[in-house]
Amino acid sequence: MRTITRRALLRSGLTWCAVAPWLNPLRAVADTDAGPPAAQMASGVTDTEIVLGMSAAFSGPSRGLGIELYRGASAYFDHVNEQGGIAGRSVRLKTYDDGYQPAPSVKNTLKLMLQDQVFLLFGYVGTPTVTRVLPMLKKFQDRNIFLFFPFTGAQPQREPPYDAFAFNLRSSYRQETAGLVDNFVRINRKRIAVFYQADAYGRSGWAGVRRALKHYGRQIAGEATYRRGTKFTASMRRQVEILKAAQPEAVICIGSYAACAAFVRDAVNLALQVPIANLSFVGSENLLKLLIHWTLTEGRGNVEAHTRLLVNSQVVPSYEEASMPAVKEYRDLMRRYNPQPPLELLKEPYLPSEYSFVSLEGFINAKLMVEILRRLGDRPERSQLERTVFTVQDFDLGIDERASFGPDRRQGLQQVYYTVVDEGRFVMLDKWEDRFA
Amino acid sequence: MKIQKLFQKTLFGVFSLFGVISLSTSVLCVYTVDTHLSEEYESNSKDIAKTIADSSVDILLNRDLSALQSLIDQFVEIQSIRYIYITDEEGEFVAHTFVPGVPEEIRTGDRNNTATVERSLPGMGDFVEVGSPILAGVAGSVHVGMDTDLIALKIQRAIGRQVYLISIILVIGVLAAIWFVNLAAKPLGDLLAYAVALARDQDNGANDQLLGRDDEVGQLARLFLYFSEGVQAEGERPVSAGNDG
Repeated sequence: MRTITRRALLRSGLTWCAVAPWLNPLRAVADTDAGPPAAQMASGVTDTEIVLGMSAAFSGPSRGLGIELYRGASAYFDHVNEQGGIAGRSVRLKTYDDGYQPAPSVKNTLKLMLQDQVFLLFGYVGTPTVTRVLPMLKKFQDRNIFLFFPFTGAQPQREPPYDAFAFNLRSSYRQETAGLVDNFVRINRKRIAVFYQADAYGRSGWAGVRRALKHYGRQIAGEATYRRGTKFTASMRRQVEILKAAQPEAVICIGSYAACAAFVRDAVNLALQVPIANLSFVGSENLLKLLIHWTLTEGRGNVEAHTRLLVNSQVVPSYEEASMPAVKEYRDLMRRYNPQPPLELLKEPYLPSEYSFVSLEGFINAKLMVEILRRLGDRPERSQLERTVFTVQDFDLGIDERASFGPDRRQGLQQVYYTVVDEGRFVMLDKWEDRFA
Repeated sequence: MKIQKLFQKTLFGVFSLFGVISLSTSVLCVYTVDTHLSEEYESNSKDIAKTIADSSVDILLNRDLSALQSLIDQFVEIQSIRYIYITDEEGEFVAHTFVPGVPEEIRTGDRNNTATVERSLPGMGDFVEVGSPILAGVAGSVHVGMDTDLIALKIQRAIGRQVYLISIILVIGVLAAIWFVNLAAKPLGDLLAYAVALARDQDNGANDQLLGRDDEVGQLARLFLYFSEGVQAEGERPVSAGNDG
């Protein structure tokens, strides 16, 4: 056994005094290199991944919206993950299907927040779903759970008291409907009727049209509704007859693709020959697919007759505009990864679109999401999210508009685009006068 | 089992009495349930209309109408409520749940009248509509339509259950009455047979059970026996008296 001498003790003491001041900083550096222990990490963040929660329509007549939004976002997340992720962490989307129904979306949100403990909510689809989820975000506001870039242009998440819990990227329905009304009035189509979904989404668009017409001292010429979840096979004759009786010069549809395609089909069949506009939420490619398929199988094969009076507003540029860096990147990555919808959520077969406005929106949403997560640094904290989003100023997403956020600006982009069908695909509309006057 | 004629009348009386009781109870029950449930539904609908009216003020004045639509969509999920519509102070429909559109009768009617009205809407059915003013009527009004057919069905179900219970009680009561009547009728039948046998002087000696009873039937049996024995004794007495005389 070794004897401890007084000299040995003195030597040890002196050595300790010399080394001790350096120990804490060294330990701190070592901790930083290894990353914080899992217990100290924010919910939804581990050493290897950041989990984002998404509840959307992956089943039912509107499933194309959820699936395409997911595919677009996945293409970019896959690309980022392949490049090494964000500070070494990959981005993962935890998805649930709500079928575009409010009750399941509320249930899914609870699961995502409490059970899955995701870092944030991302890419929700629909107004009736999001408006029911917003009060829950307020209820759990102490957890700093934010909803990022929902696929809806409704006002509730853009106005108090719920604006503090969501960040929007796309333009609002108010902006889309105002743009459509302005253009119709400009080409002297002032009697505008509305066909809308009988729920919060439809009402949001209806309110936008009403507000825009009020600006011109006019009222909605006529209105007809349909139930959410209506399929393309349903008849819209009654709705067309109601609107026809109002003798409109243009119709603005606020609905999803299956019902709106059914309305367009019956409107043309019943000789309601006026421009029919749809909002971005409609899912333009799916609408067109249904119309073309019907025309070629059951109609008289005249696709032109059923599509030439269509005008769809969009909140992202056309995916044909490959001159824009983001569109080019989108097309490249969609081709390279060809993301598939989550198989466990698919209840019926779905044929994805190669490119679509919805998947491009999902892609751009993901692009900005990644930028925000990068700006959060090595230790992402929910409490730092809002402050970090506000640092996004004039950010170049690679499209023809730069994104900015701030305490009084919780919507990143403001632009609305208009598209029409030309040779079986949606292209940018140049002159309203030439097309519809 | 043969029921004595006397008791057939009694049974008929009992059955009639039960029938009258059951019928009057059913009628009273139908009336009470119908009145109460109708009042209950109307009262609930008025409460719902008032709740929406109270909640609508802030939304109408400060927020987007989609929030208002979202609010009424939640209420219309309640069974028996078939439609809700909200008009602003100028009578314009600012939110409603009609598909494919607001019915002609409502569109052309007095939109801000909040009194309870009965409506028959073509293609939709019959409704009782209750209303509630928003901000004392200066901001519009809320109208809630209840499906009267659905309410009638619910009331019928409730009444059906009551009548079913009463019918069961009636059947059990009648069966019990028959059993009790038979309980009284059988000894009387035995007594009658015994009396006839005595009259025919055919006492087979198998009537100890009847004579041993301590009730009125037993007493009557013993009385019949006494009279019978008296008559027999009278018949067997020697005519000495006449000889003596």
